[in-house]
Amino acid sequence: MRVEQLQQQLGECFNSSSDANVQAAAQTTNQYTEMFKAGQLQKNEYIQLLSDMHNTNIINKSAENQQVMENINLAIGELISLAMLAG
Amino acid sequence: MKKLLVALTVLLSGCTVVDAYLMTKYDPNEYQIITGIRAEAGHAKTQCDSALTSRYNATKISYDTQTFVLYSEHIPRNDNLLAAAKALDNIAQGLADQYKQEKVSPAFCKIKFETIETSADKLQKVIGGRPR
Repeated sequence: MRVEQLQQQLGECFNSSSDANVQAAAQTTNQYTEMFKAGQLQKNEYIQLLSDMHNTNIINKSAENQQVMENINLAIGELISLAMLAG
Repeated sequence: MKKLLVALTVLLSGCTVVDAYLMTKYDPNEYQIITGIRAEAGHAKTQCDSALTSRYNATKISYDTQTFVLYSEHIPRNDNLLAAAKALDNIAQGLADQYKQEKVSPAFCKIKFETIETSADKLQKVIGGRPR
């Protein structure tokens, strides 16, 4: 597959997804590819930056999971307060 | 009140509720380490034009992200953050390794430190938002 085809697929991914993280990833990948083509990045640097996207995805998921847990924790705390008030 | 409890029980599985209730509490040391990494990356990204300084910065931040992993490793019920800490460490080790092997382009250096900075910012929010 040619780089241009890959970029086109990423563009489609960017347009079709409503997930902010997917959109950001597609945009970033495209940016890296343009920089690589312009000679601003070496091949191994380009590969490493693409691999880093997997790592940032793990970090994003961790933040999302934590937010869910915090919301549940807050709800439980409020329920306990309500239960104590109800006697 | 009972309706609320029933609704919560129906909506969430038992394990999720227990996990949330017992979630890891705020740890000021963990928060301090990640704040340091964020500040360091923010400063280092402006020094990428100097290869010597950047090499030092990359080595230093890789030690700090490793410290962050080691500190978080044995905190109970901390799997979620530990996975993210390891991912952050991978990003930083990659930069340090690159400096060991060959000449690093300023654009790559800047992107790597920016990625570390934004990732550390997210993790800082995760740790800071934990129950106290």
